Formats: sequence, structure tokens, C-alpha cells
Amino acid sequence: MMLQLENTLFIITMLLYFASMILYFVFIVAKKDLIPKIAILLQLAGFVLHTAALICRGIGAGRLPLTNQYEFATSFAWGLCLVSLIFIFRFRFPVLGAFSAPIIFLIIGYASMQSKEVRELMPALRSNWLGFHVSTAIIAYGSFGVSFVLSVIFLLREKIQSGAFLDRHIPQREKLDLISYRSVSLGLLFLTFTIVTGAIWAEQAWGAYWSWDPKETWSLITWIVYAIYLHLRIRRGWQGRSAAIFAAIGFVCVMFTYIGVNTFLPGIHSYA
Amino acid sequence: MSILKKIWKFISSMRFAILLLAVLALACSVGSMVTQGQSFAWYAQRYSERTAALILALHLDDAFHSWWFLLISAFLCINLLLCNILRLPQLILQYKSETSPASVLSGKGDISSNGISDPEAVFRHLRMPAPTSCRTDDGRNAFFSVKNPVGIWGAWICHLGILLLIAGFTLGQTTQQQFTVYGVPGQTCPIGDTGLLLTFDAFDVALRPDDTVEQYTASFTVRSTEDGSSRSASASVNHPASLYGMKFYQNSVGWAETVTVTQDGQFLQQQILCTGETLPVENKPDLIIDFTAFYPDLVMEAGSMPRTATGSLNNPATLYTVYYQDQILGMNILMPEEELTIDEYTVTFSDPQMYSLIQIKRDVFTPLAFAGGLIIMLGLFCSFYLQTEKLWAVEVSPGCWTVSGCSRKGGVLFREKFLREVS
Repeated sequence: MMLQLENTLFIITMLLYFASMILYFVFIVAKKDLIPKIAILLQLAGFVLHTAALICRGIGAGRLPLTNQYEFATSFAWGLCLVSLIFIFRFRFPVLGAFSAPIIFLIIGYASMQSKEVRELMPALRSNWLGFHVSTAIIAYGSFGVSFVLSVIFLLREKIQSGAFLDRHIPQREKLDLISYRSVSLGLLFLTFTIVTGAIWAEQAWGAYWSWDPKETWSLITWIVYAIYLHLRIRRGWQGRSAAIFAAIGFVCVMFTYIGVNTFLPGIHSYA
Repeated sequence: MSILKKIWKFISSMRFAILLLAVLALACSVGSMVTQGQSFAWYAQRYSERTAALILALHLDDAFHSWWFLLISAFLCINLLLCNILRLPQLILQYKSETSPASVLSGKGDISSNGISDPEAVFRHLRMPAPTSCRTDDGRNAFFSVKNPVGIWGAWICHLGILLLIAGFTLGQTTQQQFTVYGVPGQTCPIGDTGLLLTFDAFDVALRPDDTVEQYTASFTVRSTEDGSSRSASASVNHPASLYGMKFYQNSVGWAETVTVTQDGQFLQQQILCTGETLPVENKPDLIIDFTAFYPDLVMEAGSMPRTATGSLNNPATLYTVYYQDQILGMNILMPEEELTIDEYTVTFSDPQMYSLIQIKRDVFTPLAFAGGLIIMLGLFCSFYLQTEKLWAVEVSPGCWTVSGCSRKGGVLFREKFLREVS
């Protein structure tokens, strides 16, 4: 019953995200100021239903829906949508939605292609740390996704000539750079939470808090790449364009940690 | 500048830190791409002999313990340590000056606004702490407020956490004791050279209605051969037990069977074997029985390897291998009622049961590493979310004030917020 409801909500969520993405696109092309408000409302509605879908799955499965590829992918899309909405409202920046919506739609589309079968958890996954570890990863990945989007906007803003519409809806580069920095900061803090809670859990479950498993190693690589980003920003001449490129590279590491490692480098996180 | 000074400056510089981080990330990615801990033959089969030789020559088969990886890590520690030592006096001075009126009032604001009649309202709207009254050098009324002065310590705290974490990890890796014992209830195993013996009392596998495993719980007693004391405990997955200063983890499971050998119908020997273990025949040691695998619910399909459908004993079967003088004599699957006959010897496998593998570890530096991790989080939080902001107001003429402010990392966002609140 709950899982059927979850499926229905998931499909409506996908449709809402798709509609919001199209509206954002129309907004960019038609340059009508009313459109982003409707697009944000649709994204917000999608987010609410997405949350409801996750709750239904959690109730239906009798556990947190964070343990397989489908569950993590849909949660990743949820996290990206959450952070994106927070940044849209916090910085009054609706164009951010225009660039994040396609990524959210891609990730939720990827989720829809995964098996939705609910499986019982293996003993190692039956831990309270699961919630902390994976939910912090979702926020971290969502934040890095937003920083990637902001970097793309930054780089595009360099290429596109200024105009009244652009100036009204896209912040100046200095502000974009700073918002991107805020997003990376949030992501790095949560990624650190993810790694530390994962280490504490691994110590309890496997008797070793660090095993150089590919997933662990790539999380560390991602952490290092964003640490380099933060250090480079302090150096003169590295803010702006170079930092934006580096933040984009960081997100490539995030995606490799998420999908690439599962596909090419199996390890003790193979169930993830 | 002498060459030594140049080296010292470079080693403690941020440029060197960035370089080391980049090299470390590259080293980690290489280590994750190359399968670790394999032999030359394995790499040669997978890649080529030349690549295999290169992997071994560069220690890529054990990248995370190789000399070059340790060297990068050591340089990173030195860089972090120097950075923290050299920055400490500057930070103490900076922290003191952040809160001193003379320093705040003489500071260059990111933004100012003139002609403010109610400056305290600006402080309130910008959610600054209660301002402190003071006077400027030329005797004018002024007040100021500093928010989150502790924020300047964020990076320093984070670096300290990284150092503690690396120290805890390295000390743990070099001093920890780790043992593995496995067995079925009733069996006793020595725990390395610790003088402790572990006896398995019970092993419980909790199954769900769909036959999937919910939990493995091993109960055991540990006895000291030195003082004769003993303690009992249970360990299940995610719930290790602590005894005699060591942690006991329910790490893995497998199947064990009782193997009985008779010769011309006369009992010869009996032993419990776990999968993968071998039993040399007592009076003919060249003849070895290998308990290769066990399938609790055997499924045999044409053209595919045997497999088990579930973890329950619905259709148990044993895969054995017999060796004679290091040559394989035979390999086959035995059903429960079947016997294996080799000349005058008869071998039976019976009483299948699950065995528990317990990992035992003593690592006194684990808390240090975890403390390091927590300190890194604290440092990052201070750095990102306790951003130092300063606001000060100076009375230009009676009832008319100039309010100025600056933020360490707020930049344009702080300026926008300031202008919004002032307006």
C-alpha cells in the first residue's frame, strides 16, 4: 500500500520536476519575470511530494530509505533540490533553479531506472549510524551539486554579454563566487560529517575505521579536492574563474565517488 | 635569502600544502584504481608482464603503505605542523586586536553609511552582540561590536584535527594488535600470543521469515592462562564486545562440518572442519581431505556452477577435494547420505553448522583519531559558520553617526546585508 503510494508520488514528483525544468527554460528564452515564480512553486511542490514519497518508502520498508542505488539516487535528487531551494530563497536567485532543475531531473531519472525492490537489510547495515552517515552524504552531495551549478553560471556569465535581464536575474561574478564558496563550505562540512560518522560506524561493524576501500578513498579524494579549492581561493588571482573550474572538477569527483566507484571499483561498499 | 631559509619558507608555505594535497589526491586515486595486495602472476594475467613489473617496482600493489605514500603524508604533517606553529602567535595577536576598540575603530570598513540617527538599530538588525561604548582618539563618542571573533581560529583548529587524526591513525597502525579466531560452539582457540583463550559458547543466526539473516550473535568466554580469570560476552554485527582491553567483532561466518574417517570400517579419526580447511588422514598424511565449499540449499543448473538458493539447510551438499601427494585425486559434491570412499578409507561429512569468525583488536589510539575527526568538524564549522564580523559607529555631529562594518569572509553578501538593514 505504502510502496504503491510511494510509486505514484515518485512519478508525480518526476513530472513536477520536469515541468519546472521546462518553465525555467522558457523563462531563460522568453525573459518573462513571472515565469520563475511558477517554476519555483512547481519545484517546491515537487520537493514536498518527493519528501512524502521518501516518507512512504521509509514506512513501507520499515527503515530509512537510504540503502540501495534507487534509494540513494532519489535521496540525492531530494538533497540537491533541498539545497537548491535553500540557496534560491536565501540569495533571491531564481536562475539557480533553471540550472539545477535539469541535474535534479537527470538524477531522479537515473533513480527511476534502478530496481525499486525493497530488500531487507544485511546485518552490517542495521545500525543507527546509517541515518547519520547517508543523510549527511545526501546534503554534502546536494551542496556540491549546487556549487557545480553556480560554477557553470559563473563561467557562462563571463561569456554572455551583460544586459538588463541578465543583470536583474544573475548576480555579479563576485557574488556568484561567494555563493559558490558558501555552497562548497556546506558540502565540505557535511562530507566531513559523512566520513567521520562512516569511520565510527565502520569501527563498530568491521573493526576498522579506515580500510582504504575505494568508496572511502574517493570520499577522501573529493574532500582533498575541495580542500584545495578552499586554499586556492585564499591565494591572489585564484578567486573567480579558476575557483569555478576547480569547483566543477570537485563535482566530477563527487559523481565518480557516487556512480563510478560502484561501477568500476567494487569494495566493501558494493551494496551502496 | 639563504637556501635553507628558502626551503624552510617553502615547506611551511600554503603553496607547498596545495601541491602536497594535489599529489596526495593523485596517489589515492592511483591506489584505488590498482587492485591492492595481489601477486605478480595476478597482475600479469590482468594487465601484462611489463605492467605487473612496473606495479611491483612502484609498490602500487600496496600503495597506501608504500614509502612514497608515507613520504607525502609525512611532508603534509610537517607542513601542517609548521603552518600551525608559525600562525599561532599571529592568531593570538589577531584575536586580541579583533576585540580591542582601538583596533576596531582604526580599521578599514568594507562599507560605511553616514547620517545615521539610530545606530543601535543597525546593530540590532544586523544581529550583532550588544555594542561596547568607547571614544575615538580625537574624543568622539563611539561604540562597536564584534561577532564571532573565534571564527578566525577555524582553519587552525581544522589543521590541528587533521594532525591528531593522522597521528592517531599512524600510531594505531603501528602499535595495534589484531587477531582472528573462528570456530563452532564448544571449540577453544588461542588469541595469538596474548595468553588468552576464547571458547565459543553459542552462535545464533537470527533469520527473518523470508530466510534472510537479521543478525549473527556469537557468545563466548575468554580465559586468561596467566591468572585463570575468565569473562563471558556476546558480540553481534555492529555490537562488538570489550574484554581484557580488546574489542571482539562478529566479523564473518561460514559453514563447518564434522568429518569422520574410517579405515576398513574401523573408526580412525574425527574433526570439525570449517570451509577451506583440510584434514590429512592420520596414518597416511599424503592423503588430504579438503572441505572446499558447502551449499546449504544446493541448486544445480546445467552449464552453471553449483550455488545455494537460500541460507537454510533445505538441500545441503558438500563440495570436497581429495589430494594425494599434492596432486588432485578427485573433486565432487556429496549429499548428506553419501560417503566418499578412497581405497580402504571412507570419509563422511555430517552435522553441518555455522561457524563464527571473531576479529579481535586492541588499538588504544582509535579515540585519538576520532577526536581528530571531531576537531576537524569543529574547525570547519568555526571557519564557515562563525565568520567574524565587526561593526562600529562614530558620532560625527550630535545625533548624527557614521556606521561602518567589515566581515572576514562575507564580502559582497555582507555589504548587501549592511545596506539593506541601513536603508
